[in-house]
This record gives sequence, C-alpha cells and structure tokens, in this order.
Amino acid sequence: MLEAIKNVKVHLLVLALVVGAEFIGILKFNVGPGKLVLLPMLYAVFLGTFLGPKFLKVVNDKDMGNASALVSLTLMLLMARYGTLVGPKFFEILKAGPALILQEFGNIGTLLIGIPIAMFLGLKREAVGAAHSIAREPNVALIGDIYGLDSAEGRGVMGVYICGTVFGTIFFGLAASMLSILNWFHPYALAMASGVGSASMMTATVGSLSAIYPEMADKIQAFGVASNTLSGLDGVYMSMIIALPMSNKLYKILYRIKFGTPQEGK
Amino acid sequence: MNKVTESAIVLLIVGAITLIGNWIGYGFGIMEALPGMAVLVGICILGVLANKYIYNLPTVLYVITFGMIITMPGVPGHEMFAGWVAKVNFLALTTPILAYAGVGIGKDLPALKKTGWRIVVVSLFVMTGTYVASAAIAHVVLKFLGEI
Repeated sequence: MLEAIKNVKVHLLVLALVVGAEFIGILKFNVGPGKLVLLPMLYAVFLGTFLGPKFLKVVNDKDMGNASALVSLTLMLLMARYGTLVGPKFFEILKAGPALILQEFGNIGTLLIGIPIAMFLGLKREAVGAAHSIAREPNVALIGDIYGLDSAEGRGVMGVYICGTVFGTIFFGLAASMLSILNWFHPYALAMASGVGSASMMTATVGSLSAIYPEMADKIQAFGVASNTLSGLDGVYMSMIIALPMSNKLYKILYRIKFGTPQEGK
Repeated sequence: MNKVTESAIVLLIVGAITLIGNWIGYGFGIMEALPGMAVLVGICILGVLANKYIYNLPTVLYVITFGMIITMPGVPGHEMFAGWVAKVNFLALTTPILAYAGVGIGKDLPALKKTGWRIVVVSLFVMTGTYVASAAIAHVVLKFLGEI
C-alpha cells in the first residue's frame, strides 16, 4: 500500500476525474415509469478507463495496480456515512417490527436464482460477487473487504452495482407496475419489497405504486421507507452471515455438477 | 509504516479529494464540511484498529456499526454528529471510489470484456429475484398478521 500512497500521479488523476465528473453533475432522463440516472461516479469510472494503456496511455501497469489497491479502503468513508444514515432512524426501524425483518430474507431469492443463471452463462467466481445480493454499497464494500475489488468476485459485484445504479430505478418502477397488473401480491407487499435496493429504487417503485393506488399512497410510502431503512441496517450483516456463505456453498455444488470436479483453487 | 498509519494516510488523501468534489458538485464549502469529514475519517480509523486489535471481522462491519452508534438517538452528541456528516453528500463520497476503480480498471479490461454482457444479464435476474422473493414473503407475512 505504501507504494500506492506515494504514487502522487494517481491521486492527482483521481482529483481531476472527480472535479470533471462533479462539474458535469447528475443527469436524469424520464423513461417510462422510472428515470435513467447518470451519476458523477459513472463519468469518473468511464473517463478513468480511457486513461489506460489501451487508449490514452496516461497510466501504466504500476499506476493501475496502485489505484486498484486503494479502492476497498476508499469505500470505508462511504460506509461510515452509510452508518450515519441509519443511526437516526434506528428506533423507528425496531418499532416497524418482525414483518419487515422476515421480508429481508428475500435476499435469499436473489442468490437461488442468480447464481445458477450466472454459472449457466459461463461465469465462475464472478457469480458469487454478482449474485450473492442485490449489490448495493454495503455489499460492494463487504466483497471488497473479503476478496478485493480487483478479484473475480469484485468484478462481479461492481458490474451489478453499476447496472443497478444506471437501470435500477427504471427496472424497479416497471417491475412494480407489471406485478400490480398481475395482481399476485398486495400493493403493501410490493411497497415493502421495494426497500431491498437503494433509496432511489425505492422512491421510483413507491412513486409508481402510489400513482396506481392513490387511496393507499400514505401507507405504501411508509412501508417503502421503513423497509429501505431496515435494509440499510441489516444488509451488511445479512450478507456476511447468511447470503455469502450460502452463495459459496451453492457455487461449490453447482461447480461439481457442471464440471464434474471439485472447485479448483480456494 | 504499519497498516493502520498507511490506512490513515489514504483516508486523509481521499477525504481531501472528496471535500473538493463535495464543494463543486453539491455546494458545501470545504470548511463547512470539514468537521463531518473528520468524523468519517475517525470512524474509519477506529474500524481499521478494531479489525486489527479487537477481532478480525471485516472492517466494513465495524465502520457501519460505529457510524450508526454515534448518530443513534440517546447517544451523547448524536445530533451534533448527524448535523456535521449531513454536510458531506453521500454521492460525493461515491465519485472518488469509482475514480480510483476507473484508473485501475484498465488491467482488468480483458476479463471484463469476457464477462461484461453476462454480468448485465445476471444483474437483471438479481433485481427481479430479489424483488419478487421479497414481495412474496412480505405478502405472506402481512396476510398472516391480518394487515391485508
């Protein structure tokens, strides 16, 4: 890490990327019931990619290695902020009760569907990172901590994180409207489930549900917000204690079925 | 230099970069946001220390938990801490992370090319799976509780 700290070039490039990206700012486009959201972080990662040896050749292999080595530590500042978002609402969440907590086990649905599909598509360890959770900030930080974000698992979780950031609100907005047409689940259940992702995903879902059921709008919003706050509280513990170990186990079993040999390496 | 000192230096560098982005993108002056950033850096350093000296759990668990505790109602100073960190925009913290990731991404491009479209497909199933499974559980629980 010492070498990465002393690489002033990397820090200056990051500063330039941040200044440029924040200068462009947040761009939103209305698409159907949701919004296509482009955030400064996307410009930063996109422009950063072009600095590499394949394109502009501003950075060499050493610079790239140094930059990657620092990513999981930079995530910690975001996680500290994340904790402070949850703290003020801690007791409200506890009051919201057991219904919300049970609902969090929906995360297991993610890995039961996601990991077989990811492996069917030919992904290996990327599958565990990509499909162990819905890949919001705490999940990214956890994978970064355990495997490193430049590992196969790290590439998986970052990929889903970025897709979720760009398409998440459109996707959740659409999913809520479509499920309400199918009429399998009560609108309150749809509202509660909207909390599993980021705050913007929840807002989009609650927005389209309130438009469809205006007479239930108040309660729909309350369920959405409570569930979203709870996900913020327990998401990282849930991932570490339940989802990640289950994902690894499922991966091992599927690997043996697919390739007929036990998993290589770790 | 030991790991804790190194981590502290990195956090200070990233904190400084974030303060500049926080000012350009979200209009919080650097001096205005400084106390909040100091609190965040402090929490992270405590997290690194806890990971090293208390018990070897992922640092992220300690950091989220500490952030939660200092802003929890009833904890001395919780309103002051919450007021300070509110001056550091959540999104302003994401930009430097992805900038470091972007600078480093070049070396993973061959691997990303191989997996890119597959990850996009997987992300659609991940979002669907989570949403439908959570809605199903919520529906059953709410029915059981007699709320619907």
